Amino acid sequence: MSSTSSTISSIPASASRSTRSTAWGHLRRNPLVGVGLLLVLVWLVLGLLAPLIAPYDPLRQNVSNRMRPPHAEHIMGTDELGRDVFSRVLYGARVTIPAGLMVILFGTVIGTLVGAVAGFIGGWIDETIMRITELFMAFPTIILAMAISAALGPDVRNAIIALVVVWWPNYARLVRGLVLEIKSKEFVEGARAIGATGPYILFRTVLPNCIAPAIVLGTLDVGNAILTFAGLSFLGLGPEPSAADWGRMVSSGVDNLNQWWTWLFAGVGIASVVLGCNFIGDGLRDFLDPRLRKGN
Amino acid sequence: MSFQRYILRRILFVIPVVFGITFFAFFIANAVPADPVTANLPQSALNNPEIVETFRRRWGLDRPPVERYLTYVSNLVQGDLGTSIKTRRPVIDDIRRFLPATMELATFSIVVGISLGVGLGVVSALYRNTVVDYAARVFSLVGVSFPVFLLALIALSIFYVQLGWTSGLGRLDIVLQTRQPPAVTGWYTIDSLLRGDLRTFQSAVSHLILPSLVLGSYVSGIIARITRSSLLEVLGQDYIRTARSKGLRERFVIRRHAMRNAMIPIVTVIGLSYGSLLSGAVLTESIFAWPGIGRYMYQASTSQDFPAIMGVSILIALIFVGVNFVVDILYYFLDPRIRLT
Repeated sequence: MSSTSSTISSIPASASRSTRSTAWGHLRRNPLVGVGLLLVLVWLVLGLLAPLIAPYDPLRQNVSNRMRPPHAEHIMGTDELGRDVFSRVLYGARVTIPAGLMVILFGTVIGTLVGAVAGFIGGWIDETIMRITELFMAFPTIILAMAISAALGPDVRNAIIALVVVWWPNYARLVRGLVLEIKSKEFVEGARAIGATGPYILFRTVLPNCIAPAIVLGTLDVGNAILTFAGLSFLGLGPEPSAADWGRMVSSGVDNLNQWWTWLFAGVGIASVVLGCNFIGDGLRDFLDPRLRKGN
Repeated sequence: MSFQRYILRRILFVIPVVFGITFFAFFIANAVPADPVTANLPQSALNNPEIVETFRRRWGLDRPPVERYLTYVSNLVQGDLGTSIKTRRPVIDDIRRFLPATMELATFSIVVGISLGVGLGVVSALYRNTVVDYAARVFSLVGVSFPVFLLALIALSIFYVQLGWTSGLGRLDIVLQTRQPPAVTGWYTIDSLLRGDLRTFQSAVSHLILPSLVLGSYVSGIIARITRSSLLEVLGQDYIRTARSKGLRERFVIRRHAMRNAMIPIVTVIGLSYGSLLSGAVLTESIFAWPGIGRYMYQASTSQDFPAIMGVSILIALIFVGVNFVVDILYYFLDPRIRLT
């Protein structure tokens, strides 16, 4: 984490057009990035089109037809309540992927604002905020998220809230460091000299220079957020029990180990989306860390 | 600074950390709208105001949060972590009971993780940008991307259900439960050997294999990535070129010159991974019905068992302080230029 943050904070604040096109060229040459993009795109499309593609209602039970292995009518079989696994897997993409993205979105926005304010104001406010972020980061993500979402009550929204609460400190620390650095630059001094006020300087001159690194860290983190959300859901702290959700479906496997089709496909869904995100992230990291770049 | 003074300073540093953590855990626990009463009493009891009132008074829930926190802290100073609402046992006893199981699993897992991770990372760095490197990198990416609970289920259904090579859930075979080795260390593998009970030892090892492979392969992905990047960075240094141009054998250069200098980030990430394994691998422990800290924390969270949540939080904080301490000491031995401050 910290090594990633330090790599990210060395990104030139405003990448010029030519850097951008080299980045794109570099990413395109990396075969893993292509595979990653493909995996994520396929799941996004499948999730969006689920109501059109899914052969059955993902919630419709048919007890006389339960626990059937994959066959022509139900290509991924049926689960313990006779629901069509294929339809449930398709609908599952509509829960897990947006949940992971929301965690990153809110975590990035909140963390960036908090970190920017802390770094810009400095003094005891900065000191207090940074000690608080340290406390958050002292706990393993899943343990803290589990404790919070269990207290809020099992529900998709609460799981996302719990994850955002756990997620923002990373961004706050990254952005605070950047703000401290940018604050001493000449153009900020210039803005001050022509009489700009604090909030104006923070939001118009300092913050815009911190956004790119925060977005990069967010991109690297999407896979992780999806994985952690699926973990909460597996523990029964995400969507309600009957929902068509990947983590929930895999957790049914604990009781139905032999009926592999009831849990394996949903698990492959999680794994492939996260792998896709991480392939993209890895390519990005390779590009950003010149020491690891090819041919150097 | 002398070594003794350094250690004393680190020990004193624990005190503010523990208070910070208790305050934090208490704040989070009180900031959420959950009620331990509804989480712990059955519906029939909830309808009886007298029982609810007694329950509130018994657990101090009728008093204001500030007073409860102060009571908690003053008990803590006397070494009393309170009593778990769920298990009705002192939290310290619960921790004593569940921590050895987690420690045993974490230690087996980190050994798997280090062997696999460092190995892969080194191979990956030495054969950089070859097929071997790509394969190792994809493997480690798959390792960090694969949900650990899915890996656990796949491993269980193949090696336990289909092939019958290993044992399944729990720490011991059910028939051996009564022959649980007397707790000396709480590690079934060590305790059974101490008593010379080979059957129990075998069963304990057989139960450890799958969960530690699952956790180990997850951790190995992270270790492999750091090993690769750290070794690559060192291999680009001038002193490596010097060593090679002196005509030293490549093996020697890698082992003595490169690996030693690449160790610091690797040791750091191993320490962090071990810390998070020790603070309870909730998902893996719940699948393998492993009676450890992770499962205890899960139970405590879902039943709003404040004393247990607080107790485990303090434990986790202490584990990380301890792991960081050991890592810092290792830095000192790995790189004599580093001063202990």
